Amino acid sequence: MTAPIKVDIWSDVQCPWCYIGKRKFEAGAAAFGGDVEVEYHSFELAPDTPVDFEGTTADYLSKRKGMPLAQVEQMMEQVTTVAKSVGLDYDFDRVHQTNTVISHELLHFAKSKGRQLEMKERLLKAYFVNGEHVGRIADLVEIAAELGFDRAEVSDALTSHRFLPAVKADVALAQEYGINGVPFFVIDGKYGVSGAQEAESFANVLAQVAAEREAEPDSAHKRSDKEAAR
Amino acid sequence: MTNNATGSIKIVALTPLGDAAAGVCDGDFCAVPEHHTQAVVNKKLDEDLV
Repeated sequence: MTAPIKVDIWSDVQCPWCYIGKRKFEAGAAAFGGDVEVEYHSFELAPDTPVDFEGTTADYLSKRKGMPLAQVEQMMEQVTTVAKSVGLDYDFDRVHQTNTVISHELLHFAKSKGRQLEMKERLLKAYFVNGEHVGRIADLVEIAAELGFDRAEVSDALTSHRFLPAVKADVALAQEYGINGVPFFVIDGKYGVSGAQEAESFANVLAQVAAEREAEPDSAHKRSDKEAAR
Repeated sequence: MTNNATGSIKIVALTPLGDAAAGVCDGDFCAVPEHHTQAVVNKKLDEDLV
């Protein structure tokens, strides 16, 4: 018996390809069928974004990038169509463009409780599908409370910014790896997979790692019988 | 798929795998790969939207 394949994923809450990539990775992991352990890491695509931006996402991107509004809207329409193909109903008209650093703090809070994956899914849905604000503490406390977290504890964690160093550590780690864009998947600590790949690609990489482990007779990844029995 | 387990990560040079043209956000710019663009056009043609 072998230990689960570790997959470290760098991602931002306001990254449309990250949510699409999440769905495709999940489908790939399911097709692979083996044990996979996922840990999300923080990545801030636009750390200088204000918490409250007056205007639409298209307005924001058009201003930031100096691109014609029509071109930005066309790109968003294309991304929306791709999202739909994996079962996600993006609604860019309702998106609150914001700074995501506190939502990353909330993700680390959830990780400290062993519930990071659940929070990651909820925050992506909040941003892209539900049109919820994911940059303000009060809104994030509501989202966390809906998942059953203790309001006072979440509020304290976010107002004290107790998890900010963990967010910054993730960002620094991404820089060490040379990660410039997200989603980015580090698989088994040695393979780097960039972007929202097709599910089949993820399945193939996971199968490759599993095969390599099997080929190593005394692999450190293999659990002892005693460990496996626990 | 199990939830995370925080631990130290040993940094090594990563071997790139997968399609280099997959959708990715770099900074706040999220480019749409050409194959997706074409797929969207095809879908619209199928739906008689173009």
